[in-house]
Amino acid sequence: MRVRRSLLLAGLVTLAMIVAPSATAAHVVWSGLVIAQNVPEPAPIPQELTHIEQTLKSLFGYNQFQVIGQSSKTLRTGQEDWLASSKYFALHVDAQGETDAGYTVKLKLYKELELLLETDAKLSTRSPLVIKGPQVGDGQLLLVLLVNDDERTEQSPHGHRHAANQANPVVTAWRRLSRAIQDVLP
Amino acid sequence: MKTFEEKWTAWLDDQLTGKELADFEASLPDKEAAEAEKRDATKLGTLLKQELGAQPFSNEEFFNHQLRERIARENAQDQHGRGGERSTWWTVPRLVWTGAASLALFMICAVAVMREKAPSERSEYLTQILNMRVDPVVSPNATVSVFETKGDRVTVIWTEGLQSLPSDYAAK
Repeated sequence: MRVRRSLLLAGLVTLAMIVAPSATAAHVVWSGLVIAQNVPEPAPIPQELTHIEQTLKSLFGYNQFQVIGQSSKTLRTGQEDWLASSKYFALHVDAQGETDAGYTVKLKLYKELELLLETDAKLSTRSPLVIKGPQVGDGQLLLVLLVNDDERTEQSPHGHRHAANQANPVVTAWRRLSRAIQDVLP
Repeated sequence: MKTFEEKWTAWLDDQLTGKELADFEASLPDKEAAEAEKRDATKLGTLLKQELGAQPFSNEEFFNHQLRERIARENAQDQHGRGGERSTWWTVPRLVWTGAASLALFMICAVAVMREKAPSERSEYLTQILNMRVDPVVSPNATVSVFETKGDRVTVIWTEGLQSLPSDYAAK
């Protein structure tokens, strides 16, 4: 009788460990198509790009960054896919699972129906991804992907991303443990 | 209708009267022996009343007796109660111990897992590019490189030689 109860308890604990990480993992991935240009009177940088503004300016040498297409997707399962598109370009993002620090994604950039480039990446919550695309006129197409914490984005939409990007070692350990159990279970 | 034994007992106790007494004494086979037996029984009864009368408790003994009975009753109830609780496995102390044991087990596992693979800066916190492909038909001379910036940990895929497009393509 005691053995049966112990097994039941162990089963419930295991179930909770498997279910809990997926329940707590809610992030928003912002994906944007950005045209970088040099203009006499640059417009303010879009809010989503403020924390990497200096990096963008120093890397690409432009003074204006304009979003021509964007999408914000809340990831619950880590298996979602979505499209950020402008009039001529489309960025297809296909999330293929959660990692310790973020998500594995497959990215495809289309010019109308033509596939220009594709990449597989492990997108980290602490590390934005910028892809230099083709030259467009006198500007440059950039693809930007950012992972934000869901709750933080709702509460404070004006930046301060650093705190949210801190990796919690307990959460990381919890995910590893649940993943180890998932690997062991048939 | 009384039996002989009932009539005999009543006769010994002088409970028979009148015709019943006369009929009973007439039925006795040896009245002298019966009279002698009656006298012996009366004497024995008197002696027993004198010697074995109920001895009343003194106050102290009475309360001691009451107290012992009460303690015995309470002990019996306690044992019964404990027996009832025993049938339930999830007693409060066991729940507490089970919770503490589970927490300790989790902490041990968490520490073990955290120590098993210390997160390296590169693998855990920076975006990694697993592979990158540019359409060779559209951009045959394209090259790709990947690097990270120091300050804000931006991972950059730097392409060169992609086909340039007219400014119309910058439309929203």
